[in-house]
Amino acid sequence: MEKVLEISHLNTEFTTEQGIVKAVRDVSFDLYKGEILGIVGESGSGKSVTMYSLMGLLPANGKVVSGQVKMNGKDISRTSFENDKQYDEMMTKVRGKDIGMIFQDPMTFLNPVLRIETQLVEPLVNHTNMSRSEAHARAIELLKLVGIPSPETRIRQYPHQFSGGMRQRIVIAIALACNPGIIIADEPTTALDVTIQAQILELISELMDKGNMSVIMITHDLGVVASMCDRIAIMYGGKIVEIGSDREIFYDAKHPYTKGLLRCVTDPEKDDVELEPIPGTPPDLLHPPLGCPFVDRCSEAMKICKVKMPPTEKFSDTHSACCWCHQKEKLGHV
Amino acid sequence: MSDKVILSVEHLKTYFDVTPGMFSKKKIVKAVDDVSFDVYEGETFGLVGESGCGKSSLGRTLVKIYEPVEGKITFDGSDISKLKGKELAGFRKEMQMIFQDPYASLDPRMTVGEIVKEPMDIHNLYATEEEKRDKVVELIKTVGLKPDHIRRYPHEFSGGQRQRIGIARTLALNPKFIVCDEPISALDVSIQAQIINLLEKIQRERGISYLFIAHDLSMVKHISDRIGVMYMGHMVECGSSDEVYRNPHHPYTKALLSAIPIPDPDVAKKRTRIMLQGEIPSPINPPVCCPFCTRCQYATDRCRKEMPQMKQVENSQVACFLYE
Repeated sequence: MEKVLEISHLNTEFTTEQGIVKAVRDVSFDLYKGEILGIVGESGSGKSVTMYSLMGLLPANGKVVSGQVKMNGKDISRTSFENDKQYDEMMTKVRGKDIGMIFQDPMTFLNPVLRIETQLVEPLVNHTNMSRSEAHARAIELLKLVGIPSPETRIRQYPHQFSGGMRQRIVIAIALACNPGIIIADEPTTALDVTIQAQILELISELMDKGNMSVIMITHDLGVVASMCDRIAIMYGGKIVEIGSDREIFYDAKHPYTKGLLRCVTDPEKDDVELEPIPGTPPDLLHPPLGCPFVDRCSEAMKICKVKMPPTEKFSDTHSACCWCHQKEKLGHV
Repeated sequence: MSDKVILSVEHLKTYFDVTPGMFSKKKIVKAVDDVSFDVYEGETFGLVGESGCGKSSLGRTLVKIYEPVEGKITFDGSDISKLKGKELAGFRKEMQMIFQDPYASLDPRMTVGEIVKEPMDIHNLYATEEEKRDKVVELIKTVGLKPDHIRRYPHEFSGGQRQRIGIARTLALNPKFIVCDEPISALDVSIQAQIINLLEKIQRERGISYLFIAHDLSMVKHISDRIGVMYMGHMVECGSSDEVYRNPHHPYTKALLSAIPIPDPDVAKKRTRIMLQGEIPSPINPPVCCPFCTRCQYATDRCRKEMPQMKQVENSQVACFLYE
């Protein structure tokens, strides 16, 4: 399969008053053409920061320390550019054109004082050779595509005149404007009600069927992941601890954190079982543990887990996990 | 769970006047409109619905943060809907509330010990400071925190731990009934399960009844004995949690259930969702008709003219003309 995005050994740090926070630690993954890759993790696990790092959208105190990002073979990593200016110039052409983004809260993403039309036409005029009138026609077409009724009149309205679900549809329309090959959706349905969430997820699946898009979907909802994603990466403490196909993650999880996470969610289809929460709280990334980030909450922790980062073990072409428990035979005496 | 009704709500109405100016046409939001249900001793009654359906307003009316416009709330045999002043303060001891946002519901300038002790001071529960202190330590241990946490401030704790502090404060008065208003929706998945298990443990040990308000249907199903489904201020279906989940009657309940994401890829990817068209209409000055008629695929002329009443259908109560 064709790789549209390759991320290797990405490290991102934030400088804060308390010290340096290592928010993303050695993250590597690929995105293939036509797939939905789910990135699952708790708040603070680094899933959003990973995306902001590869989009060049980090706040002023954040910095990509090392690592490479390749889009369709082209190097778009911050570390390959000499200064921020050159990098920003390059990324401005990429963002919205090659990679579209859908954010969690549509009300903060949309500009409240601009008409929907202005916000939809802007990326089209900036990134393509379209004239204003062509862009206007395309904008109406986009609103139709995302299921907004009477787009000709609604395009003249402001964001506050739309409901939450409709606003998220507009955000999706803006992300799709230039037919990007890659969409990054950061918690696209978290702020929405379940029935509206179902509508938006259905819309994303329909759009996937129509175009040759690849989607990275960041979420904490395992239910959403199960119904949408082809492959799933589990993040914890700034690292990807396990990655695999949907069935490999849900039915054959290898990492203790993934297993624990699956025991924390209720499946309403099945009879009630006692929930087994993961004890403790996520690690403080100001002082991350030397070894495995999950060591303090893990029931299978060994001595070595505390001091050394576990290597990645491959179980199949798609499935791998980072845990010492799969290295027991190799470790022998430990 | 016993057969004794601890809380009985009859035809409760909570309205808000949102008229923008003196001379404008009157605008009324009917947040809770003619809702009736009972909660038994030691049971968990789950309340589900989408944002704006009035589930939180209902919870807040029960603990008398909001005044009902009409209707009767009977708690432990006495009518509390008209209580005021001292009598109301006495009743508040019996019914407490856990809030959604553990970041907003704890005073940042008070230590954990002070937060948990404050309700005891207000209600003069114990004679000496020593007794109070012992009780605080006991509560802190009950909710799974360490005694040396007492001197710390809320900002030193994570979301899940803060929610535990909130629960300890709630338990300080030994209430018989707790309204849990989305207690887990601000927490991470692995922490949610911790809080749910804690709430279940407290219920087993103390026999407290819960009104559990949430929009996460799978968690509500897990924790509740019975479930009420709300839509635009009305209760549209009510029954045991298994019955509501396995055998839903109201078209809205059916759509809501089919929209729950199921954490199992084989099941989730094959499932067909009932897609509801449109969104919840504005709750300002709603017409007298079935609240769901604008989005319902079975809606008839009658639904657009009359309001359906709750009727017994099999083992649940349903407000829908389809079952007449």
